[in-house]
Amino acid sequence: MTAALALAGYALLVGAVAPYALARARWAHRAPRLAVLVWYGLMATFTVTVALALYHVALREEHVHDGLVGLLTACGLFPVAFGPASHTAADPAALLPPALVVLLPAGWFLRTVWRTRRAQRRHLDLLAVLGRPSSEYDAVIVDHDTPAVYCLPGRSRRVVVTRGAIRALSREQLQAVLAHERAHIAGRHHLCHAVAEAFERTFPRLPLARHAREQTALLLEMTADDRALRHHSRETLAAAMYEVAAGQTPRAAFGAGGSSAAVRLCRLLTPEAEPHRATRLGIAAGSLGVMLLPLLIACGPVMG
Amino acid sequence: MRPLGELEAEIMNRLWTWGRPATARDVLVDLGRTRSIAYSTVKTVAEILHRKGLLRREKQGRAWLYEPTCTRQQYTASLMQDALGDNPDPAGALLSFVERMSADEVEALRSALRAAKRRSGT
Repeated sequence: MTAALALAGYALLVGAVAPYALARARWAHRAPRLAVLVWYGLMATFTVTVALALYHVALREEHVHDGLVGLLTACGLFPVAFGPASHTAADPAALLPPALVVLLPAGWFLRTVWRTRRAQRRHLDLLAVLGRPSSEYDAVIVDHDTPAVYCLPGRSRRVVVTRGAIRALSREQLQAVLAHERAHIAGRHHLCHAVAEAFERTFPRLPLARHAREQTALLLEMTADDRALRHHSRETLAAAMYEVAAGQTPRAAFGAGGSSAAVRLCRLLTPEAEPHRATRLGIAAGSLGVMLLPLLIACGPVMG
Repeated sequence: MRPLGELEAEIMNRLWTWGRPATARDVLVDLGRTRSIAYSTVKTVAEILHRKGLLRREKQGRAWLYEPTCTRQQYTASLMQDALGDNPDPAGALLSFVERMSADEVEALRSALRAAKRRSGT
């Protein structure tokens, strides 16, 4: 039972403590792409840890003494003939809870992607009759006075610009905004959103789930900003952000959380250098360690 | 698929402009003024629009009369509701450049931008 308890404790740490630390980490906004990966690492770690903990509870520690071979035998990944004869762990009931913990997020992910497509299809139907494709901007123009620029990522990728946005933005600003939107499409950011949403559906109310969804959304916007900055100046992108926001009807202020645009604009105007290469490697190695530790706990003979 | 998409817009635009139900043949006659196009093509696209819920149809004699289900403005409003709504569902279906903000936040952005301009100016 020691291993199951250790795994449960670890899951608690990853699911309820680590997200608060990572959400406040100062390096994250300076290396948004790395930070997104670390968030995914935490989500994967939590899922695997919970699955392993349930697995241990189900097997009542039978296999733990045999370390990795025992674990793999029990999983059916290792021919039973090679394992100790006592391990007739082909009991499907024991494998059901841990398998569910892994399959559930996968199922939610597929459902989210499917629903994304369905929502987009309706939007695309309307766009086909209302929008005017513009080869100049490589975007679809919609006749509407409110400035708005957005993209529909995925299979039927489109960038949409309203007349209001073309009026409000200078040529240079518009190009910067379009570059931002194209970065979303090229980076397949809708799939990243779907992962976070699937995780939150599987583990509702888990601090990691909420933080991961909010933070990755913000960080993905930052990576798109960074991509736009390759060819456009910070001032241009920042001014465009203000112009688009100022032209829309403001929403009622509610909740304590400020908008992500304010954070992004601040980041654009007071740039900080990307963390040193060694720091980035350290962060990557650290999160890899975080991912591997539950496997060590589960399989390590130490914990027997 | 591109030409069909353009034809969809052309048919809708005509029906919106006319403001009355029309048959595929009526549309064909009008389209035929500027180019040659087959009746079956117009008919097919009208049926596609009907299936998508953009046109409703009613039998009159042997022909179908088509009519837009909503005005152009209503459809545009619905499109913008998707784009400017507070909570796109599901997340990631539509990625906006900036989400809508409160008036205070817009004001904060403006002063941040001004301050930055002053800094770079001096």
